[in-house]
Amino acid sequence: MQQLVEQLNAQIPLEGYLTVAAIMFAIGAWGALIRRNAVVVFMCVELMINAVNLTLVAFADFLPGAGGAGAGYAVLIIAIAAAEVAVGLAIVLAIFRTRRTVNIDEVDSLRG
Amino acid sequence: MTVAFAFLTGMTLVSALGVVLSRSVVHSALFMSGAFLGVAGFFVMLNVPVLAAFQVLIYVGAVTVVILFGIMFTQRPQVRRFRTIINRQIWPGFFAAAGVGAFLCYILATEGWGETGPGNGARSVAVLGRSLLGVDEGLEIFSLLFEAASVLLLVALVAAIAISRRKEGAGGGEAGR
Repeated sequence: MQQLVEQLNAQIPLEGYLTVAAIMFAIGAWGALIRRNAVVVFMCVELMINAVNLTLVAFADFLPGAGGAGAGYAVLIIAIAAAEVAVGLAIVLAIFRTRRTVNIDEVDSLRG
Repeated sequence: MTVAFAFLTGMTLVSALGVVLSRSVVHSALFMSGAFLGVAGFFVMLNVPVLAAFQVLIYVGAVTVVILFGIMFTQRPQVRRFRTIINRQIWPGFFAAAGVGAFLCYILATEGWGETGPGNGARSVAVLGRSLLGVDEGLEIFSLLFEAASVLLLVALVAAIAISRRKEGAGGGEAGR
């Protein structure tokens, strides 16, 4: 019983967080590759950005030499991701207005 | 600690899979906010509660609402069979993504990170704020990055308005109605 409680209170090693972030990144990449709706592709890109943020924060907390810089970078990444969503959705709206679709398979004017 | 970690892991990864595989776009957006909440929980576990607050405010609040607005403007009544939402690359895409994920897991888990232990990060708001403004020793670059991020946000604001504004007589005039 004592051992179980101790086991439940144990610290999670750095690799645990990194593995979760890597799997989340892979799921986001899968979604960005296979989905047809441009808005869902945006969501998957957001998932990937979040996974990278998680990696940065884990490193900032666990590595003594990092000096806590990772949390600062994570704040900057959140700001940049917010800007990316605003501009990206504006582009999707503009495309929908002219082409009447958000299916990225049908928006292929630049295909050679 | 372990229970919280397992719960957050399950919540994050299941929600992430829900984003990719759910048939309705609105459900995808709601699953996405679930995944963001899971990551906010991880931030709390990693001793950065400030970042968890940012995450909830910006991602779960703002980004989800903006994306829901985007869905609202671009949604057409459509058949939502599984075939129609996914392009033909489902299995090649799966193997590519699984390869990336396995490679990342392998590298991150086998790399020797040296002396690691929790609690090295900037726990308090004051410390994080000082490092963000580039006051601390060795983090002076952040003063430049902070300025660049503020300029970027302004440019993105103007760009979003400029792109999505309807021009007079530029076609598709009935789209927004």
